[in-house]
Amino acid sequence: MSPAAPNMAQLPGMPTWGQGWLESYVAQADLGDVVRGDLGRGARWWHHLFDGVATLTEGRLQRLQDRIGRQVDDLGTAFRLPGDTSERPWPAAALPLLIGEDEWRGIAEGVVQRADLMEAVLADVYGPARLVADGTLPAPLVTGSRSFWRSMIGMEPTSGHRLQIYAVDLGRGPDGEWRVLADHVRAPAGAGYALENRLAASRVMGPLQTRLNIQRLAPFFSDFREGLAAVCRRAAPRIGLLTPGRFNPSYAEQAHLARYLGFLLVEGDDLAVRGNELFVRTIEGLKRIDALWRRIDTKFLDPLSFDTSSRIGVPGLMDVIAAGNAVITNAPGVGIMEAPAMAAFLPMLARKLLGEKLKLPNIATWWCGQDGPRAEMLANMDDLLIAPAFGDPVIGLPGGASLGANIDWTARAALEQAIALRPQDYIGREVVRLSTMPVVQDGRLVSRPFTLRAFATRAADGSWSVMPGGFARLGDDADVRATVMGEGAFSADVGIVALHPVEPVSLLPAHVEVRRNPGTLPSRAADNLFWLGRYLERGDATLRLVRATLGGTIDADGGQSLVPVTLDRLATLLIATGAARIDDADDAEGDDEEPGEIRDLAELAAAAIDGPGYASIRTLIGAAHGIAEVIRDRLAADVWRLIDMPLPAAPAEDTGAMLARAASLQDRFAALAGLAAENMGRTAGWRFHDLGRRIERALAVCRYVRTFATEAATSDDLTTLLDLSDSQISYRARYLTGLALVPVRDLMTLDPYNPRSVAFQVDRIREHLAALPSLRDDGIDEAPVAAATELGFTIATMRAEAMSRTGLLSLENKLAALSDAIGRRYFLQGAETIRAAGMTLA
Amino acid sequence: MRYAIRHLTRFDYDSPVRFARCNLRLHPVDWDGQRVEEYALAIDPQTPVLPGRDNGYCVLGERFVLDKRADELSIESRSTIIVDRIAPEARPDDLSVAEASRLAREARDLGRTAPANFLFPSPLIGVFPEIAAWCAQELRPERGVVEAGLALARAIMAGFKYDGSATELDTSPAQAFAARRGVCQDFAQIMISGARSAGLAAAYVSGYLRTIPPPGKARLVGADATHAWVILWCGPERGWLGFDPTNACTVGPDHIVAAIGRDYADVAPIDGVFVGRNGQTIDVSVDVEPLG
Repeated sequence: MSPAAPNMAQLPGMPTWGQGWLESYVAQADLGDVVRGDLGRGARWWHHLFDGVATLTEGRLQRLQDRIGRQVDDLGTAFRLPGDTSERPWPAAALPLLIGEDEWRGIAEGVVQRADLMEAVLADVYGPARLVADGTLPAPLVTGSRSFWRSMIGMEPTSGHRLQIYAVDLGRGPDGEWRVLADHVRAPAGAGYALENRLAASRVMGPLQTRLNIQRLAPFFSDFREGLAAVCRRAAPRIGLLTPGRFNPSYAEQAHLARYLGFLLVEGDDLAVRGNELFVRTIEGLKRIDALWRRIDTKFLDPLSFDTSSRIGVPGLMDVIAAGNAVITNAPGVGIMEAPAMAAFLPMLARKLLGEKLKLPNIATWWCGQDGPRAEMLANMDDLLIAPAFGDPVIGLPGGASLGANIDWTARAALEQAIALRPQDYIGREVVRLSTMPVVQDGRLVSRPFTLRAFATRAADGSWSVMPGGFARLGDDADVRATVMGEGAFSADVGIVALHPVEPVSLLPAHVEVRRNPGTLPSRAADNLFWLGRYLERGDATLRLVRATLGGTIDADGGQSLVPVTLDRLATLLIATGAARIDDADDAEGDDEEPGEIRDLAELAAAAIDGPGYASIRTLIGAAHGIAEVIRDRLAADVWRLIDMPLPAAPAEDTGAMLARAASLQDRFAALAGLAAENMGRTAGWRFHDLGRRIERALAVCRYVRTFATEAATSDDLTTLLDLSDSQISYRARYLTGLALVPVRDLMTLDPYNPRSVAFQVDRIREHLAALPSLRDDGIDEAPVAAATELGFTIATMRAEAMSRTGLLSLENKLAALSDAIGRRYFLQGAETIRAAGMTLA
Repeated sequence: MRYAIRHLTRFDYDSPVRFARCNLRLHPVDWDGQRVEEYALAIDPQTPVLPGRDNGYCVLGERFVLDKRADELSIESRSTIIVDRIAPEARPDDLSVAEASRLAREARDLGRTAPANFLFPSPLIGVFPEIAAWCAQELRPERGVVEAGLALARAIMAGFKYDGSATELDTSPAQAFAARRGVCQDFAQIMISGARSAGLAAAYVSGYLRTIPPPGKARLVGADATHAWVILWCGPERGWLGFDPTNACTVGPDHIVAAIGRDYADVAPIDGVFVGRNGQTIDVSVDVEPLG
């Protein structure tokens, strides 16, 4: 049967680059290449793809790669390798892997069958263990896995299933046959990357994807969400994604998925167990959690039941599981199915448990724990890959899995001796040959071997739903299983080409109750949003000081620069706020007009941007970046992009250039403030972010007034003070006379109509706190509300004439105390960590 | 022999704890050659004690949640146990090390005491080439398994120095092996690591040991300690037999089993988490009184 041509008209006079690329690619590709195979069977989708790409790029392939790269940056797709301190951009390949619908149907059936098989084996092992008793499954094959947890025996899953999501790595042989390379059941990673690859590809390819009839991924994700919601006890469940934290290699993926699926992104600290129920700590107190998609290993899940030294788990979570009060998925202990040795038994288990042959064959595997397979493996060692049976390092294979033919005779003697002692630790595997697919490299098409990760999830009715697509990994090496994402490795979108136009899927369910409140804000998110606000506002304040300092030193119109005493005050502030940390602070204290004075100020200003001070721009952006990573699920992509942008390169000692750099940085902070003010939903999250900004701004203004509006203030001091707070215009609108101390003080501190005054900030703070939920039902104000009320009264009774340094200092102390009170009431008690109760021994 | 055993653990916190959840594994199990007659637990400050979660090994767990402030916590268990066990000896018809290994591998058993549970490296006891090679000198494949086990226990006692200051609770078997010194836990871990390397099923036992006072001296109350040793699966006939590498003997009437697992983490007498700011001091006292 020849696949029907997608509805794409070949326009007359269309560029022929596409067909040229295709022909020259096919000419150099191996016989087993996926494009060659499809073309041989009369498929036309590669023609359409290359024609479309040619039109898009006007004949320059590299453009496609560049555009994909830009989209990936824009989406913020990233990953880490173990040990990385920062994330790497996701290496997305320009061209998708296309698979015809007919071929895919066979693959999908195989994936579903295998998922059912996994579930059935797990139900037996953690249940009656008949497969072991009747000799089908050797006991060591189960106990040899680090993921086997005896404590899970007899623990019936509330949902009726141990697996809610399943992933499998497939390899396509040169003969076109798909085979299973590995199973992923613990916390299958990559569904989010598949989604992001698709998003990036869609943005670049646009309507081309529709014209190619590529099946959509969205239904898979709604199946996953609905499948999980369906097994929860409550009708409108609260579902969390339990992450190991932002240093996990796939944290970015987890954050992205949480946002996409509408799950709460939580760490162990965010959760608490009380009376066998699971709760998340929120600003409204403890709130029930109905289901957790765990992305952390069982070992770390509950220090009381698994590894006592775990600091990322939830003490008591096992009690919740045992009581069936929350669905923790995939169930702890399912990882036994990932053991490479298990593959040897799956064909037999499929016959026994399902009465079927495996639809997708395994790679042939010999487990040495049994005499027959061991003898076969030893006899054919040269042609096989010798590997640890359970993935853990074993004696005799110092470098992990090795091709038998590559093991020299001394090493082989040692290996054979080790196998004789502990045969259960070793397997032999058939060596896999992979077919290739096209990839763009340096503007040219080359062929690379690939593997495909496919995903299945349980839908609302409990049946398996397979993602039409997945992600393909391409390597430079022939054995891509060994390839980690990094140098030279790509990941590609996988498109399933339908025979008929794909109906635009409406993700909209039939009926949804209207709601205007996004749900309860977890304490950690509130904490992070608050501090993000404080850090960003602090950065803005540092840049204002830098600009005032640098601007004050420029003698633009002759004689316009600030008097030295004002410059000295600016310098003191730069140091006192922690922005500029220099080794010898005396350098900055100049009360005479030494020629070196101006250079010193420039140095201070430079340090305030790039130095190590705790309020330098570099430090603050770093801190904001760390926080933004943690709450990426709550930030708009634009916010993340602005925070993730590198600092502009430091100019030489040219004051003008430094000033321009500070101005451009300040624009970035202003853009962030604008996004928060205009684009953030008016939720509790926004309130915490704004609270952080208001407290920080009020503190800065108090400090400015205390520094510049003293009894000895010069007109330069007062001008600088108004400049630092953008209040020149407000002043002139109120006073026709020149600058005078008391009016300036009043405008900056007590005037509730000046949006930069302390009074204005305190009014906003009080509004925010009044709008946040209270835990008390006795009508008495909570501590932060009471503290803010007192602060408001203090300001209301202050008089600009009588304002003293001590009065201002006391205001600052009250603001700091208010910040602490907010932390104690709403945030996690970070200072009190959970510790091991200790173990005793003789 | 009947024993009265008292095991007291006192935690002294530098600053008060607000909340603690603990697992206790103090209730001795019934095991080959021993039966628990009485058991009582006292916790101060008083708090309700629940049955522990079954971790799947030979452990009688209990647990409690302390949700009040406490500066000190004391946990005391008292048990009366009858031990009626004869220290095993090697027999000519014992299975060889290789045969015992093969049968352990092939046993169609996934139960609590199944040899398959104890064949593999466990979280605290890995397999190390240097330990494997050293222990292999005694655990030769053709040698009778009981004879080989006792020979290994003796080799450890002869080759290692008992030194309470040399190792910590989390010292790995490889470190203790390199230093050639340690305490009962280290010796048990080295023997288990070596036995598993040879293909045998080997489990970790926590328990108590009757100490015989020097002639003419009275028994010192509370001066005893918890003890640790090894059991090896010696085939379907002989089953699990105990070997004590600290004392170079097989396990008879002087050893009282408290719990059995893959390693210390499965059988730790007390573990858990607490919420508090600083550290703690732990004081343990054990008293094993023979009642005759």
